[in-house]
Amino acid sequence: MTITPQHGPAISVSGFRMNFGNRTVIEDLTFDVQRGETFGFLGSNGSGKTTTLRALLGIYRATSGTLHVDGKPFTPENGGKLGYLPEERGLYKKEPVLDVMVYFGQLKGLSRQAARVWSLAYLERVELADKSGTRLDRLSGGQQQKIQLGVTIMSDPELLILDEPTKGFDPVNRRLLMDIIDEQKAGGATIVMVTHQMEEVERLCDRVLLLKDGKAEAYGTVSEVQARYGTRTATVVFTGTLPEDPSYAVLQFRHGDARSESGADLALTEDADGAELLRHLIGRGLQVSSFTTSRTSLEDIFLRIYGAGSQTLEGAL
Amino acid sequence: MAHHNLHTVVRFEFLRTLKKKSFWVSTLIVPVVVGIVFGLVSFSGNSASKSVSAQENAAVTFSYLDESGLISDKLGQDSGGTPVTDRQVAIDAVRAGASEAFIYVPQSPARTAIQVYGKDLGLFESAKYSAVATRMIAVAVKDKVNSPELTALAAGKVSFTQTMFKDGKVSGGIFAVIPPLLFLGLFYLVILFLGNQILNSTVEEKENRVTEMILTTLNPTTLIIGKILAILATGAVQMLTVGVPAAVGFVLLRGHAGIPDISLAALVPEPSAMIVGALLLTGGFILFSAALVAIGSVMPTAKDANGMFGTIVIMMFVPLYAVPLILSDPGSRVVQIFTYFPFSAPVTAMLRNGLGSLSGIEATIVITELFILGAAAIAVAVKLFRHGSIQYTSKVRLRTALSRR
Repeated sequence: MTITPQHGPAISVSGFRMNFGNRTVIEDLTFDVQRGETFGFLGSNGSGKTTTLRALLGIYRATSGTLHVDGKPFTPENGGKLGYLPEERGLYKKEPVLDVMVYFGQLKGLSRQAARVWSLAYLERVELADKSGTRLDRLSGGQQQKIQLGVTIMSDPELLILDEPTKGFDPVNRRLLMDIIDEQKAGGATIVMVTHQMEEVERLCDRVLLLKDGKAEAYGTVSEVQARYGTRTATVVFTGTLPEDPSYAVLQFRHGDARSESGADLALTEDADGAELLRHLIGRGLQVSSFTTSRTSLEDIFLRIYGAGSQTLEGAL
Repeated sequence: MAHHNLHTVVRFEFLRTLKKKSFWVSTLIVPVVVGIVFGLVSFSGNSASKSVSAQENAAVTFSYLDESGLISDKLGQDSGGTPVTDRQVAIDAVRAGASEAFIYVPQSPARTAIQVYGKDLGLFESAKYSAVATRMIAVAVKDKVNSPELTALAAGKVSFTQTMFKDGKVSGGIFAVIPPLLFLGLFYLVILFLGNQILNSTVEEKENRVTEMILTTLNPTTLIIGKILAILATGAVQMLTVGVPAAVGFVLLRGHAGIPDISLAALVPEPSAMIVGALLLTGGFILFSAALVAIGSVMPTAKDANGMFGTIVIMMFVPLYAVPLILSDPGSRVVQIFTYFPFSAPVTAMLRNGLGSLSGIEATIVITELFILGAAAIAVAVKLFRHGSIQYTSKVRLRTALSRR
C-alpha cells in the first residue's frame, strides 16, 4: 500500500483536454480538490463530468494535461484508499451479496475475515442483513444501490468519488446516503461528488466546479459562485422615506398607507454588508420593522447557466 | 498487493463456478452419457456377436454346384447341401421358393466370385447363406492342404515383432508417438471445453457494468490472468471428474467390452518430446486464451462473442486437413506455413513433435514465437479490456481502442 503524502491537494487537474475523435469534450480544465474538503462537480448531462472522473482514475487516457491523485497519476496500485461509485452501477449480479462484498473488500486490501465482519455490519445497518446470501439480481434496484454504496465505502476510503450518488434512491435511502457521506466527511475523507441535487451541494460542499461545454464555467466556494452568478437581496419593511445609497438598487417598492408600512426589495452590491446597511437606514431616520437578506440559490444559478445554449455532448463518448 | 489480488481473483472465480449447479450438471452429464452409451454398445455388441455365431453354425438346407472340385460329397452332405448339375434349374427353384438356397462354386473360386442365391430373410439373417459357403470352402481348403499351420498362414494369421532404431538406439515406435500426442489431445480438450468460458469471462464484466469498479480497484492484467487461471482450475476439476472414472473403467475393463487391451507400461515417453509437447501446449494455450479474452473485450454481449468462437475452433482444426502431408512430407511449404502461422502452429507443431518430424531448431522457434505472441496478445487483450469493457453497448473499434491506453 502506498503511503499517502499529507501535503498538497488530494486531486490536481491541470490543462486537461479530452478529445473523442475530432470532437473536443473537455478543453483546458484546471482545478484541484483539497484534502478533507467536499467538492461538488456540477454540470448538465453530457458536459464532461464523468469523462473527467474516468480520465482522473486512469480509465481514459487524457489527450493532454495532467491529472493527479495524491500527486501522481492514479493506478489501482498507487491510488491509496479510493472509494469510487461510478455512474454506471453494477456488481456481479448472479453472486450472493456477501460473497461480492467480501471479494471487493479483499481487493481493497482487507483480510477475508475483516471484509466479512465489515460487510455483515453494513448490511445490518442498511436493513439488508437477511439478504446476505441472496443473489444480487434478486434484490430491488434500491437495495442493489445500497450494496454498491457499501462496496464503495469499504476500507475507510481517504478519497471518495461519487458519480450521481443519489440516482435510483428513494427519499428515505437518500437520507441514509447523506448520513453516510456526512460520516465519511467527519472522518476526514476527501469527497468529490457529481450530482444534480443542488440542495445537497449547498448543504454538503465546500467548493464547487461548474462545467459547461467542457470548460470550467465557475469554480470556487459555494458563496463565491453565488456571489458571482447570483444576487444578494434585502427585503425591508419600514416607515419613512427610503434614502438613496450606492450599496443597493431598488428592485421593487411597495408604498405604505394608513394601514400598512412600506416595503422594498433591494439588490445589494457585492461589497455591501447587511448589518451595516441596516444601521445606515436606521441612522437616516427610517423606522425599520423587518430586514432580511438572502442569496440566489445554487439551483437558480444552475438553471441560469445551463438553461439555454448548453451544448449536449451525450453520445460523443 | 498484486499477488494478493491475483489469489483473490482466482479464488473468487474458481469457487463461484464450483458453486453453480449448471457446472456440475454439464460436467457429470458427459461421463454419465458415455457410461450409458458404453453399456448399450457393449450389450448390443454381445448380442450381435452371439447372433453372428449362431448364423455361422446355423443348419441350412441348400443345393450346390461345385465346378472347382474342392467340395467333397461328404463335406457337402455334412453341411446340409444337395449336389445338383443344372445351375439355372437350381436358381429357378430358389426363385420359385421350392429350394431355400443354392450355392454355385466356380472353377476357380480364387479368381471368380462364389455365387449364393437364397430366400430373402432380411439383411442380417440372409447372411447365413454366405457364412455356410465360406465355412464350406475353408474346410475344403484345410482338407486339401492337410496342415493347420499352413492354413492359418494362408489366412494371414501372422504375428510379428518390430524393432526400430533412431540415433543408434531402439526407438519406441508407436508407443513413443502416443505420449507426446496426448498434449495435442489435451490442447483440443482445453480449448473446446474451456474456450467459451474464457471468451465470456470478460464479457461478464461488461454486461454487469462492473468494469469501472474493477479498473479502479485492480490491475486489469491481474484480473485477466486470474480469470484464466481460475478457468484452468475448474477445467482440471472437470477433467478429474471425467478422467478418474474413465481411468478406473479402463483398468478394470481393459480387453473387455470393446476396450482395447493396451498396456500403459508399454508407452515410452521420450523426455525431450514430452518437454517440447508441454511447452507447445502452454504457449498455445496462452496465445489462444489471450485471443479469446481480446475478442470478449470488444464484443458487447456474450451472444456476439460466442459467434467468434467458431472462428477460433476452425483455426484449430485447419491443420488436420494437412495431416497426410505432415506425415509424408513435413518439409513441404504448406506444412512449414502451418508450423509457423501463430494460430495453426500449436496443433501442427504438436503433431510433428509426436510423429518425430519436428527438429530441435523448429521446436525452439515455434515455442519462442508462441510465448512472445502469447505475451503480446495478453497485452493487447488488457488494452482492449481497458477500453472495450466500458463501451457497454457498442462493439469496439480496434483502431480506436489500440490507440488509447
